[in-house]
Amino acid sequence: MSRINKNVILALLTLTSSAFLLFQLYYYKHYLSAKNGAGLSKSKGSRIGFDGTQWRTVKKFIMLTSSQNVPVFLIDPLILELINKNFEQVKNASHGSASECKFFCVPRDFTAFALQYHLWKNEESWFRIAENTGFQCLKFESKDPRLDGIDSLSGTEIPLHYICTLASHAVHLVVFHERSGNYLWHGHLRLKGHIDRKFVPFRKLKFGRYPGAFDRPELQQVTIDGLEVLIPKDPMHFLEEIPHSRFIECRYKEARAFFQQYLDDNTVEAMAFRKSAKELLQLAAKTLKKLGVRFWLSSGTCLGWYRQCGIIPYSKDVDLGIFIQDYKSDIISAFQDAGLPLKHKFGKVEDSLELSFQGKDDVKLDIFFFYEETDYMWNGGTQAKTGKKFKYLFPKFTLCWTEFVDMKVRVPCETIEYIEANYGKTWKVPVRTWDWKRSPHNVQPNGVWPISEWDEVIQLY
Amino acid sequence: MDDWKPSPLIKPFGARKKRSWYLTWKYKLTNQRALRRFCQTGAVLFLLVTVIVNIKLILDTRRAISEASEDPEPEKDYDEALGRLESPRHRGSGPRRVLDVEVYSSRSKVYVAVDGTTVLEDEAREQGRGIHVIVLNQATGHVMAKRVFDTYSPHEDEAMVLFLNMVAPGRVLICTVKDEGSFHLKDTAKALLRSLGSQAGPALGWRDTWAFVGRKGGPVLGEKHSKSPALSSWGDPVLLKTDVPLSSAEEAECHWADTELNRRRHRFCSKVEGYGSVCSCKDPTPIEFSPDPLPDNKVFNVPVAVIAGNRPNYLYRMLRSLLSAQGVSPQMITVFIDGYYEEPMDVVALFGLRGIQHTPISIKNARVSQHYKASLTATFNLFPEARFAVVLEEDLDIAVDFFSFLSQSIHLLEEDDSLYCISAWNDQGYEHTAEDPALLYRVETMPGLGWVLRKSLYKEELEPKWPTPEKLWDWDMWMRMPEQRRGRECIIPDISRSYHFGIVGLNMNGYFHEAYFKKHKFNTVPGVQLRNVDSLKKEAYEVEVHRLLSEAEVLDHSKNPCEDSFLPDTEGHTYVAFIRMEKDDDFTTWTRLAKCLHIWDLDVRGNHRGLWRLFRKRNHFLVVGVPASPYSMKKPPSITPIFLEPPPKEEGAPGAAEQT
Repeated sequence: MSRINKNVILALLTLTSSAFLLFQLYYYKHYLSAKNGAGLSKSKGSRIGFDGTQWRTVKKFIMLTSSQNVPVFLIDPLILELINKNFEQVKNASHGSASECKFFCVPRDFTAFALQYHLWKNEESWFRIAENTGFQCLKFESKDPRLDGIDSLSGTEIPLHYICTLASHAVHLVVFHERSGNYLWHGHLRLKGHIDRKFVPFRKLKFGRYPGAFDRPELQQVTIDGLEVLIPKDPMHFLEEIPHSRFIECRYKEARAFFQQYLDDNTVEAMAFRKSAKELLQLAAKTLKKLGVRFWLSSGTCLGWYRQCGIIPYSKDVDLGIFIQDYKSDIISAFQDAGLPLKHKFGKVEDSLELSFQGKDDVKLDIFFFYEETDYMWNGGTQAKTGKKFKYLFPKFTLCWTEFVDMKVRVPCETIEYIEANYGKTWKVPVRTWDWKRSPHNVQPNGVWPISEWDEVIQLY
Repeated sequence: MDDWKPSPLIKPFGARKKRSWYLTWKYKLTNQRALRRFCQTGAVLFLLVTVIVNIKLILDTRRAISEASEDPEPEKDYDEALGRLESPRHRGSGPRRVLDVEVYSSRSKVYVAVDGTTVLEDEAREQGRGIHVIVLNQATGHVMAKRVFDTYSPHEDEAMVLFLNMVAPGRVLICTVKDEGSFHLKDTAKALLRSLGSQAGPALGWRDTWAFVGRKGGPVLGEKHSKSPALSSWGDPVLLKTDVPLSSAEEAECHWADTELNRRRHRFCSKVEGYGSVCSCKDPTPIEFSPDPLPDNKVFNVPVAVIAGNRPNYLYRMLRSLLSAQGVSPQMITVFIDGYYEEPMDVVALFGLRGIQHTPISIKNARVSQHYKASLTATFNLFPEARFAVVLEEDLDIAVDFFSFLSQSIHLLEEDDSLYCISAWNDQGYEHTAEDPALLYRVETMPGLGWVLRKSLYKEELEPKWPTPEKLWDWDMWMRMPEQRRGRECIIPDISRSYHFGIVGLNMNGYFHEAYFKKHKFNTVPGVQLRNVDSLKKEAYEVEVHRLLSEAEVLDHSKNPCEDSFLPDTEGHTYVAFIRMEKDDDFTTWTRLAKCLHIWDLDVRGNHRGLWRLFRKRNHFLVVGVPASPYSMKKPPSITPIFLEPPPKEEGAPGAAEQT
């Protein structure tokens, strides 16, 4: 009796569970395909039809942007590189004379274009039209960093990146925004939770890993592989900028907190100093740019940027750092021509070089030259009276762009390490009396210049 | 969810089967048994797979749900976003077909609750008097508009009529009275309330309480009323509880053609109410304007900052006129909203413009001033290449040739350091004192109300020393101070290119507006060619003024300047009068004269080195202050300057006269 019962139950159970299972399998399949059917179908087709897919996608994209007046130009490093190599040929090529596809058919995952946001008028409809023409697009938005520096503003988000795929090739449209300091900025491409990570191989993107800053390029129209595109007039310069384009934003929130605690100095003298320091920095930046010499904000100027996004009113000078490899002998004369006479010169190119120029209104410009050792960097100091040498040690750093008093300037990317090396962990607390020989955390005595060399290494004007 | 509920039950069965299978294995191994064993194994396997699939499905679904709820703005599908916006947020899930609405009216407190959520509560003293009106979406129950009309005061009932007429038919209307709402509730308004089906509304008496819920153009859904027993007391508080049946979304919406513009319109109209024909189903008013482009437009790339507060209807009117002006470039416009207000943001989105919200950080005037600073800084950050910015406010109408006016004059700001601003507003340009649309003046006062700011002035001078919040200063008063202005002047037109229509504002009330702003002249002629713009430069203007004074006819100084007959009944003449002005800051006679001419007299505006220029009876009328003005030398020796006694101290006009 019990056995029969058991059999019946078993049979019933089997039946229901299999029916159940079938239903679930069906449902699950349905659910899966609804979720990322698009993604699946694309990854399947990625290796098919290699010949000319890229070209066709780019062509369609260019047609779309020109018909919709989307102000784009080509920034793809791979293609710009090729163009740069064959620049003469590209410049002379006329419309439609492309016999073979030399540029846009090169195997690659993406083609990168830049969009000049400030020239763009029909932002709203563009996305829809792109999708109607067959593109599948992802849009990455974020809040506008240009409003970050201002207390308590929140605006509509701005687009940072578009990635549009068509027939297994993707166009990466990097949105370039204008910033104060005459440069173009693009944002960080951040994958948020809901974004399909398999949409494209995001890791292989050439732009968007970090925010970036570029000089505003002059553009020219060229015909490449039968397609008319805008490219930077000087592709070489643009290509050189790419690897060093990383941009870091000032820490506006922390700066506001700092001012809540310590209050800003708004006296007439402080405002006058900030104004002349800013002008001096602008002049120095212009002069060094003309020479093609890289520099970064160092010491007090760097601290002012990092801690309070501004110039420290009691700092008395503007401090810049330059790698000794970048030293050029005509720096001094260039500054003198710009109206900044040399005030003193300490050290020599081989050791502890430091230049000081006299700006207007008693503001001094100090340029420290940095020397690289295997595991640290350092710059030198010299006491004029005694000929004593000092050495300031820094952990190794790389350079990033940032915006400071309406200028695009470089700072060490590893800013906190740099500042802590110089000012210690208590850099957040303002210190008004500063002794360059004793106060810095990273200062070391470095012997004395031999008296025979004094005439060369201690020059006061 | 029900599909996989049985699975937890399956496990014990499985365990039992396992044991019996074990027993059979242990004892007998006949053919039949083997078959049964096979079946049993199969069943167990099935069960196990089912359980696994179930668990996976549950996990997957849960993740999908949490992902969906974590992500408030889906990137890909706008329609989906649209749908989500419209669904009621504060109410529970599932389609509720009935809203339960509570309305309370009393002397000192009113509130309205919809499905237990308070959507209006006002028990502040000395505030919120009158009829509170709330409009609900009939399909979702969303609050679409919230207004209070102080119908104790004059003209507020007209505003209420205007508003109620703009509400689309079918919407749910809720009215409740706080304190007093009948004193200036006139017949038109009462007739409108009657047409809504209200019994008590049209008969509303002194200090009655009243609560009303009804559908626009449809049935009344509830009404309660309590008469005030005596002049000195109020009606008893009334609490109206009623059910409001919801209609389907189909009925509540219009079916416009599917275009980008209509999508914006749809988003707007399903959220807010009280904007009239923009949401009309049949013949909606356009939200895109294609004003003629301006040939050789010099201000096409000048950013326009619109400073706004929480007056969305004003903003709506303002943006309409701005976007209709010749030569406007919408992508250069940014609307800065002082506070986290949604409705002004909706208006901005309706027109497809950029909107930025500013969190309040201080109070009243100082807050306006901080809002200005943040807005101006943001404008120059967003448009780093701009050398100028146009600054507008939300309660201005913009003349059709506003940009044309600026395009023709903006080079002055570049070429002449002695200029502080270009403004579209003439403080003294009233209907009876302004005449010539092609004429410009130089004035020492900064009028504001639609003006152009030079970036270098802002960045180098104003921004660094902008008054801090604790100073509690008006930004425009501060900008007019000699420390800031430093003797520089502004260019203004004779006939204003903006019109100040706001009657509610920080320093504004109905009386004030009627006295000083209503009769202001506003240019409506497109494409006016300005005359002799370069003569507005510092030196050239002196030459021009001297020429004018030389050819001006001296008026009869024995007559009373306040009399109409002071000026002869001519046309096109230039007349000059000399008034007493002992020192640069002695404006006694001028202020009296301004008062009797019915122009701005609350402080001194529109002067240029002791000279005022205006029109009277179509004649150019110059007033020179003697002896302070350098133009005093033009006074014939026989003429004695007019002197008017200062008024005896009386209750007077509002103290701080200010225009924002």
